[in-house]
Amino acid sequence: MAIIERPVPVGVPDIPAPATPTRTFGALRRPVATTGWKSWVFTVDHKKLGIMYGAVAMFFFIVGGIEAVLIRLQLAAPNGKVLSADVYNQMFTMHATTMVFLFVMPMAAAFANYFVPLQIGARDVAFPRINAFGFWTLVGGGIIVNLSWFFGGAADGGWFMYAPNSGPVFSPSNGVDFWALGLQITGIASLTGAVNLIVTVLNMRAPGMSLMKMPVFTWLQLVVQFLLLFAIPVITVALFLLSFQRSFGATFFDVSAGADPLLWQHLFWIFGHPEVYILVLPSFGIISEVLPVFSKKPLFGYPFVVFSGAAIGFVGWGVWAHHMFASGLGPVSVAVFSIATMAIAVPTGVKIVNWTMTIWGGKLNFTAAMHFAIGLVVLFTIGGLSGVTHAVAPSDTQQTDTYYIVAHFHYVLFGGAIFGLFAGFYYWWPKMFGKQLNERLGKANFWLMVIGMNMTFGPMHMIGLQGQPRRMYVWTEARAGEGFFNLAFWNRVASIGSLVLSIGVLLFLINVVKTARSKQVAPLDPWDARTLEWMTTSPPKEHNFDAIPTVHHLDEFFHRKYAQDPVTHEIKQVATAEDIMRDQEANADKHIHMPSPSYWPIILAGGLPVIALGVIYAIPVAIVGAAIVVLAMYGWSLEPSTAPDTDFDPPASGDGTKELAPLG
Amino acid sequence: MIRHSNKRNAVRMSKTVRRISAAAAGLSAVALLAGCAKNAPQDTWQPKGPNAQKIDDLQKPVFAIAGIVGIIVFAAIGYALFKFKDRGQPIPEQTHGKPVLEIGMTILPAVILAGIGIFTFQTIFDLAKTDDTEMVINVTGQQWWWEYDYPVQEQYGITDPIITSGQLVIPSGTKVLLRETSRDVIHSYWIPALNGKRDAVPGRVHTLRLEADEPGIYAGQCTEFCGLSHAVMRMETVALSKDDFAAWVKGQLSLAASPTEGSLAQEGESVFLNQCVRCHQVNGLKKADGSPAIAAPEDNVWSGAAPNLTHLMSRNTFAGASWNLLTKQCRKDVWEASSEEFGKRYLAGVTEECLNQTDLRRWLRNAPAMKPMYADPTKLEETGGKYRGMPNLGLSEDDIDKLVAYLATLK
Repeated sequence: MAIIERPVPVGVPDIPAPATPTRTFGALRRPVATTGWKSWVFTVDHKKLGIMYGAVAMFFFIVGGIEAVLIRLQLAAPNGKVLSADVYNQMFTMHATTMVFLFVMPMAAAFANYFVPLQIGARDVAFPRINAFGFWTLVGGGIIVNLSWFFGGAADGGWFMYAPNSGPVFSPSNGVDFWALGLQITGIASLTGAVNLIVTVLNMRAPGMSLMKMPVFTWLQLVVQFLLLFAIPVITVALFLLSFQRSFGATFFDVSAGADPLLWQHLFWIFGHPEVYILVLPSFGIISEVLPVFSKKPLFGYPFVVFSGAAIGFVGWGVWAHHMFASGLGPVSVAVFSIATMAIAVPTGVKIVNWTMTIWGGKLNFTAAMHFAIGLVVLFTIGGLSGVTHAVAPSDTQQTDTYYIVAHFHYVLFGGAIFGLFAGFYYWWPKMFGKQLNERLGKANFWLMVIGMNMTFGPMHMIGLQGQPRRMYVWTEARAGEGFFNLAFWNRVASIGSLVLSIGVLLFLINVVKTARSKQVAPLDPWDARTLEWMTTSPPKEHNFDAIPTVHHLDEFFHRKYAQDPVTHEIKQVATAEDIMRDQEANADKHIHMPSPSYWPIILAGGLPVIALGVIYAIPVAIVGAAIVVLAMYGWSLEPSTAPDTDFDPPASGDGTKELAPLG
Repeated sequence: MIRHSNKRNAVRMSKTVRRISAAAAGLSAVALLAGCAKNAPQDTWQPKGPNAQKIDDLQKPVFAIAGIVGIIVFAAIGYALFKFKDRGQPIPEQTHGKPVLEIGMTILPAVILAGIGIFTFQTIFDLAKTDDTEMVINVTGQQWWWEYDYPVQEQYGITDPIITSGQLVIPSGTKVLLRETSRDVIHSYWIPALNGKRDAVPGRVHTLRLEADEPGIYAGQCTEFCGLSHAVMRMETVALSKDDFAAWVKGQLSLAASPTEGSLAQEGESVFLNQCVRCHQVNGLKKADGSPAIAAPEDNVWSGAAPNLTHLMSRNTFAGASWNLLTKQCRKDVWEASSEEFGKRYLAGVTEECLNQTDLRRWLRNAPAMKPMYADPTKLEETGGKYRGMPNLGLSEDDIDKLVAYLATLK
């Protein structure tokens, strides 16, 4: 495959390039642009792909956010008239789908793509072209899912899409078809990404970096990739059953044909519960980097964080039926899943303790990233504790499908996952773009988001416990109770909160634009960081590291900068980041071979949405799409991973293997 | 040096934390309760029957424990943020953790949760008991209303099956077992004051126990997303004393009487025979030729059922319990009646002066405008020519007057 660089042991220079054919067998010559849009569209560079993942995810965050605000506007007053029942049902379905599959997952993938190779001292991922393919597949899937808005209405069955309500009779528009096929395509993106990152992490770590010296972010991303690897096939099967039922008259969930609709629920939640951890563990990883850096202390109990992450990865498979406590499973199943759900609270609680103990006794620097990280710890704790109240199955039968659950999972996913991602933005922005986001705007962004988030989701605890169900396009004064603090009051507060939250997000976007325009360059090591990704330029060169570092410690970079005085036990700086960089450049590897860009990933990915449209509208179109896919696979497999310069379009002058090594 | 001061801080800290957390626990409990609505009809913290009470007894301590744990965590974080702010102190020792503390902090929550787990276990099996059932009612969900079907149970005077909808009427102090199923998609039956919710799944029968301590009306709502009008699929459970319940049963077993000759209601009867009887059954209604009029909802609506209207005016609501048949004041009189008075008021049904004509007429004029349904004639193709709810019948105002007069006789 496309791997052509491996960690080069120090002192073994000049490894010959792999032999490559002198011409391409595919129909296309290689793209060669290093600037302009072509350098992005055909890139296989994990960093460019990471940035593109981030940009696409951000776009969908805004889309999902607008959907959320519309929902809250509709619910601001009783018998809301902003949206019709039909559009409202589409809106909450697409809000969840967009936020889960098209924002949090791709944004976590953005960070994984960009930082996992950097954190382990690698020059790219194991399969760069598959990486590019994964990204374009995600784009195709996202487009298909959202295209339904313009073709007769989006999916309207809720993101959980329970059968038989998702069947052709009960959901007659094409929305569910677009939804099922679109998610099927984004699933391919997740699967290829998972395989790619697992192989990368297991095979391409810098010399000396044993698994237990690996940064926590990379560790938790590894756990997430394994979760994806096993969870995505389950939803794939479920979505196939659904698509066959809707498009080809199959009867998997047709009760009159003897089917049991609970089959869908089991399949969906066997995927759906690990999915929760897929969403939140990357953010746990991010703040496990951020908290130590701004506390000037290593992560407290690193092995406990790693093993509790892995434990969540295992136990997370045994709790899916807690989403089904009201669905009539019978007391034995309910009791077992109730206990298993309580059990998973333990490793989660361990993490909270570790984060608290990390800042305990530290030297805290309250940057914007640190604000978001602490915000995560506090908000996620609230979400975790409300989670314990419905691990208790009998009390869950009062709470499930009410706003109490909406409050719970927004504290977990907004307070947990999204705050972690924002911590990541502020922490890693200088690394990715060489410029620091404005800290003052960042803090304003944080406070608006915290206030907005608590105003929006805090009252939902009360609304839910006082009996307002979810997924209702209107609520009625008749069930809102009396007194000043009745449900109408809290619904209004929640709606206002969603606007405050939006302004917070808007402030982030303003910050991004402002930073992009500013000429101020970030210092090499603005945060006094601890891990390998900071041991290179910002933004990193295409080949990441001039010399692959040899790792001796967890937090290698910190240990190169600081040493403890053996007598006074005082910790003193012994080198600056600049010193270390100079050292790196002096010992640069001589030949660095980077994977070459390729047309095939985007062409192959482009065939998939065509198949999806064909399945919905006309089978011949699907055959065209399939032909594109097969041809692209053929071209791809005949294309060598690295190319001689003559292979490029237009061919570059010069000789032999493309080398990107402006060394020294 | 650093270690020492930390230890001292920790000791001082624990006292402060205890004091702060006690104060904060009290404050937040007060704030939470003060922030609640009064008399919210679907409040999950106001049990009115033994099943809901069991859940409440289990969950209240869990909420308290969760609250206390939360306050301790927040106090610790808050203290650390304040105490360890960078004020130029030296770089702390690079310790990687304290395994004893870690293991302790793993075992502690595990023990707390194990304790909660034992009580949870017990309650789950308690709530699933059905061997002491005193009465069975079949409950069937469909888009977007519930049908209640009382099988023959001589000891309650139910000598023939009773079919009704909108309000589930049960005798108070009686262990009722609902046998739930659905005719189309998944719905969920939930009366928070009486028990947690249980899904009604097509092709399956699920059971749910209900028991009300006192006579009264208990509100609920379908809580499994069931399509377009999920938001307007409500229900009410009405508990009557045993005597009142017997009276109610007697009323339900009677047939509808023909309206008096030449009255507006009699004209309404013929409108009903022309339009409504295609889906809605009225027991005892006869066609012009004297043969019984039998509704055929299975030919006209997808779920194959429409509410039986024989005793429409004995219920206080219509259209999935989403609109009131009683005017606001009359309804208030029933809802706020003392438990002794309640039965009498409820059994009075909807009298002429109490009938909420506005909503009923609006409904007859154009039902899908009030409650979105897939009753659009252009969408009949997917459902084999069957409606998914009540379509707009295109009735004239004249017909509506007649129909309202007729419906008012269905006591």
